[in-house]
Amino acid sequence: MGDNSLKKSFEVRYDMLLNAIPSSVLIIDRQLQVLSVNQNFLSKSLRSKESTVGRLLADVFPLVILQSTGIEESIRNVFNSGVAIKGQKMTYRAPGVPLRIYYYSILPVPNDQIMLIMEDVTEQVRLSEEVRRVERHLASVVESASDIVLSTDIDGRILTWNSAAEKQSGLTTQEVHGVFFYDLCDVNQKPAVRLIFQRMRAGNEPHTTEFHLLTPNKGGSILISWVFSPMLDDYGKTVGTVVVGRDLAERRKLELQLRQSQKLTALGVMAGGIAHEIRNPLAVCSSSAQFLLEDNVSPEFHKECARKIQTNIQKASAIIENLLRFARSSLDTDMGEVDLITVLKETIELVTNQAKVQKIQIQLSVQKPVILVTGVSGLLQQVFMNIFLNAINAMPQGGVLSITVNTIEDRVIVRVTDTGVGIPPGELEKIFDPFHTSSPVGQGTGLGLSICYSIIRQHLGSIQAESRLGQGATIVVTLPLL
Amino acid sequence: MNAPILVVDDEPDMCWAISHLIQSQGFNVVTAFNGADACFKLANGDFSVVFLDAKLPDMDGLEVARRASTMAQGRPSVVLVSGYHYQDDPVVHDAIAEGIICTFLAKPFTNEALLKTLYSLLPTDR
Repeated sequence: MGDNSLKKSFEVRYDMLLNAIPSSVLIIDRQLQVLSVNQNFLSKSLRSKESTVGRLLADVFPLVILQSTGIEESIRNVFNSGVAIKGQKMTYRAPGVPLRIYYYSILPVPNDQIMLIMEDVTEQVRLSEEVRRVERHLASVVESASDIVLSTDIDGRILTWNSAAEKQSGLTTQEVHGVFFYDLCDVNQKPAVRLIFQRMRAGNEPHTTEFHLLTPNKGGSILISWVFSPMLDDYGKTVGTVVVGRDLAERRKLELQLRQSQKLTALGVMAGGIAHEIRNPLAVCSSSAQFLLEDNVSPEFHKECARKIQTNIQKASAIIENLLRFARSSLDTDMGEVDLITVLKETIELVTNQAKVQKIQIQLSVQKPVILVTGVSGLLQQVFMNIFLNAINAMPQGGVLSITVNTIEDRVIVRVTDTGVGIPPGELEKIFDPFHTSSPVGQGTGLGLSICYSIIRQHLGSIQAESRLGQGATIVVTLPLL
Repeated sequence: MNAPILVVDDEPDMCWAISHLIQSQGFNVVTAFNGADACFKLANGDFSVVFLDAKLPDMDGLEVARRASTMAQGRPSVVLVSGYHYQDDPVVHDAIAEGIICTFLAKPFTNEALLKTLYSLLPTDR
């Protein structure tokens, strides 16, 4: 192989290499003359190789670019200093093509040459502008929301805090930035909220709860329903938490009214059984008192009558006391430690009269004498009262109402089973809907079980129904253990 | 006039009060605390009057009365004594119209009213 053909072969390889670079590349000498150029540059600038190689930079680039970038000066500096210049921005519009944006670098190469590399970043710039536009849109969605929206890092330190959060808490973004979110909660709630953040770290499950948010600048606190969701990165790893909160004051007020009216309905149902049950001891007292009014009452009989009066007054009084407790309990709505077994026993006592009238046997089976949950005992009693009365209504010809309580792991499961008419398959999924009722018009509001549902949800539990038509129904209430 | 009087009530104190009242007038009293017991005693005894509670643990008082009303002979006069119904209750009204019960006495009652009812139902040849 001769020298010439060797040189030719190197030139071909050199061109191949240059053209393979996906950026525009020009090799320039100290006189600012273009020595070589790759295909990428030629096609972007709509120039031919002949009108470029051997020409001065000033002939290749439009004057306006040379002036605005000062690129000739920069190249001279690189020749003099031997230090590369990197990452400069250039906007280039070749005649007849849309505007392109380049990042360019000027690198010294051996034999007194420099390499000008221009990378077309038009698409990236457009994308990043699009990203910024989407970001602005998302930010305005979060800002415009009337719910509290905030984000935290993985440890629970607040990163963002929207306008609704500022408005409802009275705390500005500056005041809360970097503050642990649980430090804005009631002291009693802190450990629980901390635990939620720990759970977010591990799991992908959102967490729903309710607690008070402190509003130190306004004094006091507000009750909020919260949803915690883990924020995941591209690899599915939790990097923070998104917390959305809604003020519960208005909803609470409505729920309270609804529960109260539902309670009156329940009281109406119970009235028949209670009337019967109170008039019995009254009748015994009445007759005994009349015996005492008679002449010639023996001392023994006198005592016996007085004893009968005493015990029967106590009986009547106990019935009334239960009734009062049920009627008034809804005023207390603060969550606390509640023994579910006591709640169940007291509620059973309340429906015993009605059950007796309808010849229904009540069976309670429990594993443990005490089962503690977090809740409002009056509300839980209302839930079970509703379920029991529904069951009793389903057994007009008598039957058995059985209540079993089991604890499994961190939950307690209460199953209330009747031997009544059952629920038709199509109705089963509707029974927790508001205003769904199987009673004739005027006899049921259809709100009972939907109120149960809302109360149980508030206690972070669940309520389900199982039934086969004609074979009775079971309502299953699950609550988290304390 | 030795036919005993049957008192049916699931509340022992109630039976005690009514029994005592009737016994004080020199009558014999038999008590039953539930519907099945009442039906058995009705079928195997000769009662002139029955004081019957409306709500019994195993069956309705009116059901006991209905069975008593089908007895071929020695059919007693039935008084429904209840705190569950009231004087002009349609259920009571219908039961009287059908002849299942003779009359109704609301709890609480005066001893005088109960005795008046009793005497009004006893045969006049006493």
